[in-house]
Amino acid sequence: MGNGAREEILRLFRRGGDLVSGEELSRILGISRTAVWKQIRLLREQGYVIEAVPSRGYRLTSTPDLLLPAEIRAGLDTQIIGREIVYLAEADSTNLRASLLGEAGSVEGTVVIADQQSAGKGRLGRRWSSPPGVNLYTSVLLRPPISPRSAPQLTFLSAVATAWAIEETSGLEPQVKWPNDILLGGKKVAGLLNEMSAETDRVHFVVLGIGVNLNMQAGQFPQDLRYPATSLTLETGRPISRLRFARSLLHHLEGLYRVYLEKGFTPILLAWKNLFDLAGRQVEVDLQKRRLSGVAIGIDEDGALLVRLVDGSTERVLAGDVTPADS
Amino acid sequence: MDIKDLKTLIKMVTDTDITEFEMESADEKVIIKRSKGQEIIHMTAPAPVYAAPAPSAPLPGAAAPAPVVAPVNDKYETITSPIVGTFYRAPAPDADPYVQTGQVVEKGKTLCIIEAMKLMNEIEVEFKCKVIEALKENAQPVEFGDALFLVERL
Repeated sequence: MGNGAREEILRLFRRGGDLVSGEELSRILGISRTAVWKQIRLLREQGYVIEAVPSRGYRLTSTPDLLLPAEIRAGLDTQIIGREIVYLAEADSTNLRASLLGEAGSVEGTVVIADQQSAGKGRLGRRWSSPPGVNLYTSVLLRPPISPRSAPQLTFLSAVATAWAIEETSGLEPQVKWPNDILLGGKKVAGLLNEMSAETDRVHFVVLGIGVNLNMQAGQFPQDLRYPATSLTLETGRPISRLRFARSLLHHLEGLYRVYLEKGFTPILLAWKNLFDLAGRQVEVDLQKRRLSGVAIGIDEDGALLVRLVDGSTERVLAGDVTPADS
Repeated sequence: MDIKDLKTLIKMVTDTDITEFEMESADEKVIIKRSKGQEIIHMTAPAPVYAAPAPSAPLPGAAAPAPVVAPVNDKYETITSPIVGTFYRAPAPDADPYVQTGQVVEKGKTLCIIEAMKLMNEIEVEFKCKVIEALKENAQPVEFGDALFLVERL
């Protein structure tokens, strides 16, 4: 009820007009004046600046850059993605939380956002560094009516959405590394990891995990990074609104998901190819058991990376760490 | 042992109060069991060394010799891959496998991960079973429908 009351108070503040009186809040919310004061105090603790004008009412003068559901929803134009938004001040992993919600029957489009993660997931048990207050760590639950064999296509969808949100909020031009890391000037700015729960012929749900370095400072990156990393702030020299970024990301996810459901994978792959900068370049691919060295000649219609080896043969890569070897 | 010797042996046994008799030598085994008024005789012999390599058909009721290669029979089932991708037996390269050979696992337990384009698909077992064998090696590519594990449904 506390959360709901605060969301309602914020909605009333934003409804337009100027001041909202304590009586009005009390009447509309159906709670006592004391309860209204308590909610206003809690909002102030979260970083909202709420001005009190004696005997006239309250006015919202500034909103914190907190990824609270009410804040994200204000100005969000989606119907599917963000239908439910779950905010966690701290999570082990948003992917894990979203998977548990998926198992518990949460609706398609449920979004989990954490201010920080204690066990942010990367590939093969790796960690995604997730300090509080600066970045976006989110997981989106989808229940696509597709066969499990097609589900890897969603990896390209979330990569394009993330790249477009970066473009929109920073003006920078990101590239994608196969299949879905997002790079700025060759440094990793976002990491994506998707998980699926499926039977042989039916997808229960897919979780799209997205971590974006927005306002992380140079000193906040771990020392043992496998790949050079950066943040939007480091690249632009200015702070990036996490809220604005989150809304932009959800907006693009929705648009691309609708296109995917209506027109299939081809338009998604086309958009992805426009962001792909490894085509024609010398690459190394770590397949855990062995390494490949060759030229990335492109991707096939499934999205698999095609690498031309020294002996002239072509290897089709479905999973692996790709590093450009010519820079 | 020829048929005359066997008859003599049965006669000797039935003349006594013995209800069960077992005799085993290097190349044959005879079991005689008696119940009210009837004798049950089991006799197992190895295939003659000069015969074709087909296994000898054991006499009805005889204990089958242990086969060299376990056949995939009705007892076992395979868990197959729902997608094309890379097979991982463990959540991380330095971690223990999700399941060990011989392990009994409950329904819903993760057996492995198949990764394709950074989509991780945890393969869960849909019934309680015993893991007989992993049929793929760690980090090996697998095709749609490839058998990943041989299991015995419990």
